[in-house]
Amino acid sequence: MRVPALIGLLMGALPAAESAAIPQPPLLTAEALPLLPQHLVELTLQAIKAPEWLISLGSLAAAAGTVVAVFSSGFALLSLIERKTLARMQNRIGPNRAGIFGILQPVADGIKLLTKEDIVPSKAEWFLHLLAPVLIVIPSILALGVIPYGREWNPLPLELGLVFFFATGTMTEVAVFIAGWASGSKFPMLGAMRAISQMVSYELPLIISALSVVMLSGTLSLSGIVEHQAGYHLGFLPKWNILTPWGLVAGIVFAIAANAESNRCPFDLPEGESEIVAGHMTEYSGFKYALFFMGEYLGLFAISGLGITLFLGGWQAPLPGLDCVPSWLWFFGKLAVVIFVFLWVRATFPRVRIDQLMRFAWLCLIPIALLTLPVAALWSFTGQGALSWLLCSAVLAVPFIIISIIFNRRMAPTIRRYHYAE
Amino acid sequence: MIPLLLLSPLILLAALGAVWKARPVHAALLLALTLALVAALYLTIGAEFIGLVQFMVYVGGVAILIVFALLITRPGDEAAELARRPRSLAMGLACVTPVLGLLLYAFSKGLPAGTALETNPALPVQALGQELFENSVPAVLAVGVLLTAVLIGAALFARETGDPSEPPASR
Repeated sequence: MRVPALIGLLMGALPAAESAAIPQPPLLTAEALPLLPQHLVELTLQAIKAPEWLISLGSLAAAAGTVVAVFSSGFALLSLIERKTLARMQNRIGPNRAGIFGILQPVADGIKLLTKEDIVPSKAEWFLHLLAPVLIVIPSILALGVIPYGREWNPLPLELGLVFFFATGTMTEVAVFIAGWASGSKFPMLGAMRAISQMVSYELPLIISALSVVMLSGTLSLSGIVEHQAGYHLGFLPKWNILTPWGLVAGIVFAIAANAESNRCPFDLPEGESEIVAGHMTEYSGFKYALFFMGEYLGLFAISGLGITLFLGGWQAPLPGLDCVPSWLWFFGKLAVVIFVFLWVRATFPRVRIDQLMRFAWLCLIPIALLTLPVAALWSFTGQGALSWLLCSAVLAVPFIIISIIFNRRMAPTIRRYHYAE
Repeated sequence: MIPLLLLSPLILLAALGAVWKARPVHAALLLALTLALVAALYLTIGAEFIGLVQFMVYVGGVAILIVFALLITRPGDEAAELARRPRSLAMGLACVTPVLGLLLYAFSKGLPAGTALETNPALPVQALGQELFENSVPAVLAVGVLLTAVLIGAALFARETGDPSEPPASR
């Protein structure tokens, strides 16, 4: 079908769509802008009298395509922004050759990675070796699908959105193991072992800290959780979960565990460059390596988006008067801030040791995350006022101080003697 | 019906592969595939919660634990495993046949007369949670206490039993 004919069909279809019973946001408002591809596909299919299942399938495909397109370009942009930001923080210039300010660097990187030779080691199992990068990318994209990006922009509105998110997250562990094992080499194997033990350990605080939010919202649907955070205290303070005592603690635990789950510095032991080359990605090159990178960044987007949804009010505006700005702009603004904090942490902290990593998860994060559950209940029962604030903070602060004192006594840095250096 | 017909042969093949493969890692991965396909089956019949939890617990938990146990233990001898194959096969068939026979018998009898068939028993997850944590709270608590006891016991067994006067390996 030629383009002018298509436009004519669309124009003809517009009044019919408006009279349809399904409540739809009006086209071409700023709020519904990201939904445009979905509407266009729906209207086109309705215009050519497509069967019902084809319309819903096409609409879903358009919604998924929008998410993939947005976050793939976000991935390209982030790979540049990350290098520039890190360079700025380390007093370097960063990529500055391709285009103005290195703005074409992602394109150059992409061309380089796509044209590189794809090497499969002779000891590798070629099928599993091929399967691993695919299995890394798929769960990240699936997880991105359930996050509500705006008031209307909710690609996959599941009742069990949170469970779905964590279920996709477990697929990453299997994929990392397959990558490490199928490469048939020692560094990937070591990296995979580190990655699995780290992911299994940090999944617990991640899920437990999310549970307290579920407890108070009374729903597992992510858009339900966002709607529960609507409104303002005293007319200006948003009712986000991060602004409650248990939410603050759970949010910090969630952020640390999310950092570890996405294998980023200071928890990047699975791919510690100075120790085990690149961990499970050592034997990969070219396009497959690019897929690993893409999976990692999409995973970072997804888990940041989940953190925003759970604790930072999702797409809600931070002040009452600012509701006129499209809600998805608020979401992406918050996403940019959260990602910047992740970059900042990466540039600031040195990599931890594996025993410190494990001890931190099991002795520090999990007890504090568990503590947020009864405190969230206390918050709910004591009326969520100023007094409740003080009480909950006290209940949270006392064990925290005790744990800190124990950690300081028993695990403070001591003077080390290196015998080989004497 | 169509998803069932599509998925069942795949589940059977993956399960057979999981017991047939001589390399433990292959067997473990095929087991993970089997469990994931069973989760997919749950999803297609509308039991979304149980499907997702199956995926989380069995693929993300049990399969990963098996794989991890394989990594930190010494691999067995594949040739010896293959030599034992006829005996394993005989024993496996001896175990499976009665169960399969019983199941086939039960299916051939059909449902007792008068059983109402619900075509789409869509249970909202909230109702599931209320049933579990309001009506059957004692059972859940008992299971929780039991699991905690098991966990503590396992930690006690796994405790390092070296010379207590020695400093720990890492600080």
